[in-house]
Amino acid sequence: MFGDTLALTARSLKKWIRNPAAIMPGLFMAVFWLALFGSSFNPVNLVPTQIGGTALSPVLVGQIKSAIGSVFGGAANYITFLTAGIIAFIVIINMAYGGIDIVLDRQLGYLSSLLSAPISRASIFFSGALQNFVKAMFIALLTFLVALLIPNGLQLGSGFGVLNFLGVFTAFALVTFGFGCLFTSVAFSVKNVDSLVAIINFLAFPLVFMSSAMFPLGTFPSWLKDIAEVNPITKAAETARLLIVNGNLSSGQLSTFAGNMLYLAVFAVVLAAIGYLIARRALKAE
Amino acid sequence: MKTNIIEAENLTKTYKKTVKAVDHISFSVEEGELFGFLGPNGAGKTTTIKMLTTLASVTEGKALVAGYDVGKDPGAVRKNIGIVPQELTADDELKGAENLLLSAKLHHVPNDAARKKAKELLELLELEGASHRQVKTFSGGMRRRLQLAMGLIHDPKILFLDEPTLGLDIQTRQNMWTYIRDLNREKGITVFMTTHYLEEADSLCDRIAIIDNGVIKLSGSPSELKAKLGGTILTLQLTDSVDISNMLSGIQDVTEVAKEGKTYKIKLTRTERALPAIVETVTKKGLKISDITLAKPTLDQVFLQITGNTMRDGATNGDSFGQRVLIERLK
Repeated sequence: MFGDTLALTARSLKKWIRNPAAIMPGLFMAVFWLALFGSSFNPVNLVPTQIGGTALSPVLVGQIKSAIGSVFGGAANYITFLTAGIIAFIVIINMAYGGIDIVLDRQLGYLSSLLSAPISRASIFFSGALQNFVKAMFIALLTFLVALLIPNGLQLGSGFGVLNFLGVFTAFALVTFGFGCLFTSVAFSVKNVDSLVAIINFLAFPLVFMSSAMFPLGTFPSWLKDIAEVNPITKAAETARLLIVNGNLSSGQLSTFAGNMLYLAVFAVVLAAIGYLIARRALKAE
Repeated sequence: MKTNIIEAENLTKTYKKTVKAVDHISFSVEEGELFGFLGPNGAGKTTTIKMLTTLASVTEGKALVAGYDVGKDPGAVRKNIGIVPQELTADDELKGAENLLLSAKLHHVPNDAARKKAKELLELLELEGASHRQVKTFSGGMRRRLQLAMGLIHDPKILFLDEPTLGLDIQTRQNMWTYIRDLNREKGITVFMTTHYLEEADSLCDRIAIIDNGVIKLSGSPSELKAKLGGTILTLQLTDSVDISNMLSGIQDVTEVAKEGKTYKIKLTRTERALPAIVETVTKKGLKISDITLAKPTLDQVFLQITGNTMRDGATNGDSFGQRVLIERLK
């Protein structure tokens, strides 16, 4: 089964590598969100230095700025806060739209040729999820690089090292794989691209907006906060921010980190199972 | 005695409980046979292939392929069959050889054996030169041949061909026929094919089943089917309108005589015996022949006779086409 899964995954990735333009939309999205959206807004700039002609005390202004900063998890600027959210957003969108290839494979009859081959249905499903996962993670890495490269962009906390980097990307990998399996199962279940796009737009955007990807939870109304707190995208973004902003973690932060990772791992396994069950139904003989 | 490698018994497929795409068909295919399903678009040919290749579930009845029940043991069936679907499924972005090796991998052919077999097939199907080019640069005929190679890479016992020459020009189609015939005769592969081209079924198949509206109307070898029409038709035109119908009817091997003016339409069972006798009778009577033509029966006539429809390339029976659209929607 693993051999079949890898052979099918390799087929898709080969096609992807031969068409370098395929990564451009992901890259554009990363640059636009970070360089344009991220640079245009910095919450600490909202703090006035004078009101009605009366100058505010610089001490007070400083205190307000640092209070706002702490709402943003201590991030040095908005882009530093936003990077984790944008990576989460980009991987979700990529996994969701990656399903289009799967729908086209069905329409072109390729899926039938897989279904009539002596391979397990699981390898058909997981190769679908895996190919999109690899593509999404590659674009996530590019996004991270873009964030580092833009002026006044992502600022890593002191002590940020290889382990932090691996931690950040493991968190993203888990959330990407989990939602990826869900989106992949949807792609196997629909018959045309229009239905797929309708469903993923309905799912993907609320998933991202009901998380702390763009803005800190502290600013949310309580009903939205309750939902966002259990959203795996929030967990992944918060975990990444913890590692990015703080560099060396305190023992309290380490246990938050471990808890989040466990949460994300369980989430990934459960969604892989659910996704497989949905896809297996869709892949049954017609 | 030859064994049956495909056996279908009351095989039925109903979509959404209302549309019967295939309706209680029974047939068998012997090992080594080249068997054809002939019928217009929407007759149920593709649905039958889908059931035999495990892609569609069987609503009623059963089918054994290579000795395994398609419903109960689909995995074993899949191991023994090769499929060349109607849609071309070779990957455009991949090279010819890559497509072939991927097919081999998905059928668990060991790497060395796969490479050897790929080389052999590429040679056989005259694709060696193109094997390292992306499939998007292939012509229609090359794609079909590659598809054929992909269906053969794992040495299947049975090869399923769904409309193998659909959309090809005459020359390329005849080349495909040669490949299919060679594979069947020289490699001994059992072939189950569908086609709506009469001349294709006629020239390739050992045995044919004519299917229309989900039902097998008639089956047998092409010559048996044509013989059922009553043999050859001789059209004889004389210079005089003297009636010699009775004399002609009396000749051995003449089964039917119809006269219209100076022209006779005469049905013959054995042309080689009847024709000289007819000419002799006419000459003895002192009559002169102004025109004589001999028409061998065609499958087209067989089809017309049993279904009441003509079957022309590309033309579809309105109902059958409607049936196909309906099935697509119901899926």
